[in-house]
Amino acid sequence: MIRLENLTVAYGPRVILDGINLEIPTGKTMVILGESGSGKTTILKCVLGTLHPVSGRVLANGQDISTLKEDDLLRFRQRMGMVFQEGALFDSLTVGENVAFWLWEHTWLSDEEVEARVRTLLRFVGLESSIDAKPSDLSGGMRRRVAIARAMAAEDPAFMLYDEPTTGLDPFTSKSICDLMRRVQREFTTTNIVVTHDLTDAYRVGDLFTFIKDAKVIATGSRRDIEHSDDPFIKTFLSLDS
Amino acid sequence: MIDPFEFVLGILGTIQSFTLMVARAFRYLVVHFRFRESLLEMDRLGVGSIPIVFLANLFAGLDMALQFSVVMAPYGATNLLGKVVATSVIRDMGPVLASLVMSARVTAGITSELGMMSTTQQIEALLVMGVDPVDRLVAPKILAGMVMLPVLSVVGDFLGVLAGLAVAMFGAHVAAPLYWSGVRTALTPPNLVNGIVKPFVFGFILVSIGCFYGLRTTGGAQGVGRATTKAVVYAAIWILIANFLISKLLIDVWGWSL
Repeated sequence: MIRLENLTVAYGPRVILDGINLEIPTGKTMVILGESGSGKTTILKCVLGTLHPVSGRVLANGQDISTLKEDDLLRFRQRMGMVFQEGALFDSLTVGENVAFWLWEHTWLSDEEVEARVRTLLRFVGLESSIDAKPSDLSGGMRRRVAIARAMAAEDPAFMLYDEPTTGLDPFTSKSICDLMRRVQREFTTTNIVVTHDLTDAYRVGDLFTFIKDAKVIATGSRRDIEHSDDPFIKTFLSLDS
Repeated sequence: MIDPFEFVLGILGTIQSFTLMVARAFRYLVVHFRFRESLLEMDRLGVGSIPIVFLANLFAGLDMALQFSVVMAPYGATNLLGKVVATSVIRDMGPVLASLVMSARVTAGITSELGMMSTTQQIEALLVMGVDPVDRLVAPKILAGMVMLPVLSVVGDFLGVLAGLAVAMFGAHVAAPLYWSGVRTALTPPNLVNGIVKPFVFGFILVSIGCFYGLRTTGGAQGVGRATTKAVVYAAIWILIANFLISKLLIDVWGWSL
């Protein structure tokens, strides 16, 4: 479970998040929706511990991330997978090496064992044949798939974070990425946070939804709760998307 | 208008961040030494720089011998050409020239590589995967710089001295044995220590500054360009400052002996 308690983040006088409270139960997917620049990605950074809040705390399975020291944070992140907006694949490495990277860094597996695991993960995302390709040779959708495989490389990832995973993709590819995210959640029982501004994709992957506006949570709940919200911003957001 | 207080605070903050990065890099070299990555960096930084360093030292040696022979000939002192050329090359010209040429290639390369990684979230991806970028990227590069620059500099020095011999023989008509005996007298402990300590320190400077500005890059392609320019300029300036300071320190230790 991930819990955000009264989380406040500010850059100087500019408040990015103002007293955010959220709870994502184990094995569920929380989709965070809102306009660009509303602080959605900042929430992910706080969960990752790459950004420290001014006040409040982030609890992941009871562990307060905001108080961890750098070395403990690095260890903690080993159970976390993150899929960045453009994939953020290491462009000097091949697809296979990108997926193998976590295993090289954190395990003592032999080359054969690493290759077997890499092939399994790439098969899972449907890209085993691209194992020797460079990220620059892949399409946007393929890069996201490799990023998901890389994020899954940890033996037992407890949390998966997705930052705009379908931005810039065509509707077919977007759907296939959403299906893949659902499969990951089902098969590995991960607790997920997805940041997006695409409502169609949000409905495809989400169990719970949160709207952020002006640094605050204005609504949170199930799809039904969101659709029946009286908030004018949410009504406009939903009507524009439909 | 710039607030002087903010300006000083900014400089102090930069010095603090740089010191922390370097301290972490040295800690990783001790507690989590990466042999494979270090070797790869030595190959990329050192072996890849051989042609330019050698070319620079070759022409510097030729030019220096030429200029010294013009100055010394009227005094009939061209028999000292070997000693003078070797002393200048080993103590100063070799290390400084190799470092400045390397900073143009290596510092710029490191800053733009790490800068691109920063702006495309690859550095963040490393952190998320539980890997400190200072451990994976910075520490092996710093070690490679500190090992490879002295090696390149020493070989470059030899090449510079050899180029001086060509000018001495064919320009100043100095016999080769006389030139070499002059070179031998220049191989004193103060000169040799100068020739090793300087590139060791310069190697650290040009790599650590490149890494520091690379990891702090923001703002897309323009940001990478800005960071690269800044890193190369600062590396060159700090190499020249360090050169003076080391020269002064070693002269204080050994006195004015050559």
